[in-house]
Amino acid sequence: MDVSLKRNFCIIAHVDHGKTTLSDRLLESTHTVTQREMKDQMLDSMDLEKERGITIKMHPVTMSYPAKDGKTYQLNLMDTPGHVDFSYEVSRSLAACEGALLLVDAAQGVEAQTVANAHLAFAQKLKVIPVINKIDLPSANLELCTRQLEDILTIPAEEVILASGKSGIGISDILEAIVARVPPPRWADHAGTRILVFDSKYDAYRGVIAYVRVFSGTIKAGDMMMLMSTGQKAEVKEVGAFHPKMEPCDDLGAGDVGYIVSTIKATGDIKIGDTITHAIRPATEMLPGYKEVHPMVYCGLYPLETQDYEKLKSAVARLRLNDSAFVFQPETSVALGFGFRCGFLGLLHMEIIQERIRREHDVDIISTYPSVVYKVKVHGGETFEVDNPVNLPDPSSIQAIYEPTITASIHIPNTCLGDVLSLVMEKRGTCEHTTTLDTTRVMLTCLLPLNEILVDFNDRLKSMTRGYGSMDYELGEYRESDLVRMDILVNGEPVDAFAGIVHRSKAEGQGRSLCERLAEIIPPQMFKIAVQAAIGGKIIARGNVREMRKDVTAKCYGGDISRKRKLLDKQKEGKKKMKQIGRVSIPPDAFIQVLKNNS
Amino acid sequence: MLELAPAQAKAQGPPPLGLYMHVPFCANTCDYCAFYQTQPTAEAVRGFLAGAAREAALVEWNRPVDTVFWGGGTPGMLAPRALAELGEIVRRQGGGDPREWSVELAPASVTPQRLAVLKDLGVTRISLGVQSFQPALLEALGRQHTRPQVLQAYARVRAAGFASVNLDLIFAIPGQTLAAWQADLAAALELQSDHLSTYCLTFEEDTALFVKLAQGRVRPDAEAEAAFYTAAWERLEAAGYAQYEISNFARAGHACLHNMNTWRMAEWVGLGPSAASQYAGWRSSNVADLDRWRAELAAGRRARTDPVELTPRVLAEDSLIFGLRMNEGVALPALRARFPEAPWEKVEALAGRLTHEGLAVSEGGALRLTLRGRLLADAVGGQVMEAFESV
Ligand SMILES: Nc1nc2c(ncn2[C@@H]2O[C@H](COP(=O)(O)OP(=O)(O)OP(=O)(O)O)[C@@H](O)[C@H]2O)c(=O)[nH]1
Ligand code: SF4
Ligand SMILES: [Mg+2]
Repeated sequence: MDVSLKRNFCIIAHVDHGKTTLSDRLLESTHTVTQREMKDQMLDSMDLEKERGITIKMHPVTMSYPAKDGKTYQLNLMDTPGHVDFSYEVSRSLAACEGALLLVDAAQGVEAQTVANAHLAFAQKLKVIPVINKIDLPSANLELCTRQLEDILTIPAEEVILASGKSGIGISDILEAIVARVPPPRWADHAGTRILVFDSKYDAYRGVIAYVRVFSGTIKAGDMMMLMSTGQKAEVKEVGAFHPKMEPCDDLGAGDVGYIVSTIKATGDIKIGDTITHAIRPATEMLPGYKEVHPMVYCGLYPLETQDYEKLKSAVARLRLNDSAFVFQPETSVALGFGFRCGFLGLLHMEIIQERIRREHDVDIISTYPSVVYKVKVHGGETFEVDNPVNLPDPSSIQAIYEPTITASIHIPNTCLGDVLSLVMEKRGTCEHTTTLDTTRVMLTCLLPLNEILVDFNDRLKSMTRGYGSMDYELGEYRESDLVRMDILVNGEPVDAFAGIVHRSKAEGQGRSLCERLAEIIPPQMFKIAVQAAIGGKIIARGNVREMRKDVTAKCYGGDISRKRKLLDKQKEGKKKMKQIGRVSIPPDAFIQVLKNNS
Repeated sequence: MLELAPAQAKAQGPPPLGLYMHVPFCANTCDYCAFYQTQPTAEAVRGFLAGAAREAALVEWNRPVDTVFWGGGTPGMLAPRALAELGEIVRRQGGGDPREWSVELAPASVTPQRLAVLKDLGVTRISLGVQSFQPALLEALGRQHTRPQVLQAYARVRAAGFASVNLDLIFAIPGQTLAAWQADLAAALELQSDHLSTYCLTFEEDTALFVKLAQGRVRPDAEAEAAFYTAAWERLEAAGYAQYEISNFARAGHACLHNMNTWRMAEWVGLGPSAASQYAGWRSSNVADLDRWRAELAAGRRARTDPVELTPRVLAEDSLIFGLRMNEGVALPALRARFPEAPWEKVEALAGRLTHEGLAVSEGGALRLTLRGRLLADAVGGQVMEAFESV
């Protein structure tokens, strides 16, 4: 197919502005899926995405569109996640496209990730097509949205398309705009074959499957390919496209998006962002590739059953292949045994990865309390990083501890300014400046410790602004801070997995709420169990695990004895699903629950 | 108050022997019932009696039985003549007059004729399945009798002169308040029976009640159940009924020996479909199906399922799990003498922890659960199993 008849674009927006729903309409109207196969939020193909109603991964799909100019175009669409934790998925999609549909929820207006994602698209020099979506909503405010696009993003009003993914308004306008406004594939006439690996996944039968965008040249089964970063060669076994299911095809050419199955089986061998070329006549220059992302949050993940360590090891390796923002390395805990220190882009990312390990890889795991990466300077001058509170050296040897900060852009209605400012203060932050977005909204630029926004900042922002506040952030500098290690003792024994690094001024309050919530989440125990928080051996807070009130079978006669033993056996099995720490059974997702219950 | 020393104490000689007879007939199925029972057609009853005789003959009895217990189902569904026939089987195999012979009767089935037959056979103890005195609660349980029927049945049993009479009550019925439970207890106490069994309603799988539970129409509430338990225990204690097991209370000399022997891990032979045995080194249950039970017997075999070998470890573990459900508790030194190979260090550690936490007391070598401990008897049982796990 002629390269001039191909268009590559992605859909970007703030969370929930309707990207996946709009994709449904595009798939439908181009007959990519039949009416019969069509399901709501079709591209959210992972169970987790369906259950939670959010997109976690980018999803590519190839469509065929007969345009009004009489020519039939091949449109390669990528749906992207809106949540800030998954913005790495967005930037990887952008690098494989020439255009982006920027959706704005007509009732919500421009929000923090609208701005952040639009800037990412501008930076990649993509053609941005603004779409005000959900115009079917009674609360839609088209005028306001248009003005915000103009004022905040300098997008001219005449470019705006009005649409509703729900009622199917504006779909053909969008398709026409893609053909007319998105440029044809760039760099197509480069001398060598250059193919960008923008994602990958592991398949038990076929090994590593690379998701690719071909920039120049062609590739087909039987070719010898080469990974340009390492020089590793492999034979191509199969190439294909997404419809949206993977379907093999003869070859992939310039401007195509598809997948490559090769003789590469090891999960570590393919790097996202690498360039694939032909082994014979290789290209001389790699494609730009991706910036490495740096995890913001770390936690330890351990198998509930020690014998599952190997299973967990292959699970994290395979997940990393499908989620390059996730990093891990082995570590050992006194309480939990052998596991991995894992890094994530945020708490939601952490939660999703944990769920995927449980579901897709069938390993029961428990996680430690999340932490950011601190820098510690010890007397004598040496400075090193600490991403696990357990590794914090003895207080007497510490000269200073530095914590990561972020620069947050917080979009809020004017009326909430006071509340939000006091939230920022409470979180040890400062407001650097305020920008008026329009008559009703302001943007605050704030400096905050990363550690403080991890847990409940976003939830509280949402609730105090009744859903109209949103936030985006970038990692800032490290700054010195009065931090201490807080240990959590269960039944008098410190549990390394529960240790955390906190600001001294907040230790007591955080300790108390952590103890109380942990005590509540631990199932009732037959023995009295205290959960305590301590700094350097001094108890600063405590909570009591609920005592079991009644656990007794009424009837236990001759005929019941065997049954009763089975019942007790079953209870024992149930307990095995939890982690035994000392004498206490901790549910595997205790921390996620503690963190979530907060709001 | 209880004249019997724990079985473990008298280490010599074989343990007491019980005979349990499962009479698998009921007119209707109560909503909470998980027992094996079926409709008493003439054919089924004939088959059951023939099977019982055959099964009793197949057992290798090595000593006379000390206690007999007829449960079900409702043995009272049998006509007087059938009762007599079944009684003869027991007497023939039992070797003389058992020391205690209990029969469960549903109030509606208590007639002077039946009572006369039972009395002649040598039955010493009648257990009446009252469950509640309140029409609404009886209705909620799917029970078929009325309060006047209960009172009349009780009067008849008393008039027939049995040595011991028990009333069964159920509590924590959906819709039952604590006051309603107190009223049932008061009504039962007024009758001055010798023995009371009070059962917390249990949601057994495959019952009509369980279906309601699964559908979310009823919901068990551990706090409320604990309150019902405690209320009964206090009230009955004050009225002169000593608790001797989680669900059982007796006036002096009226504890059920048959059941006590079971909990002390003595031996018993179970006859009839679904009946469980613990005898001659094995524990097993008969198949819970009248026809299959009969077919096996016709082929000259007892229809036993789920066999468990009674190793010293199993017996020691179960002596603790079930012994601790009794107020007399478990005499650890005697048990240790009987099963020296059990993981005694772990058991002692557990005993220490239970005592330390106020869930048990240790007196003269006997470990007994406290009131709070008894409410957690299953959790304690789980701990016992953990202690034995590593063996
Ligand atoms: N009224 C109305 N609701 C819509 C429209 N489009 C989407 N929605 C609803 O908005 C919610 C979010 O829709 P999604 O399509 O999942 O949004 P998304 O942008 O893909 O969300 P993320 O991928 O999680 O960022 C769902 O409840 C949709 O039903 C629309 O055009 N009109
Ligand atoms: S009478 Fe007893 S055995 Fe019969 S159905 Fe009711 S509870 Fe079950
Ligand atoms: Mg989506």
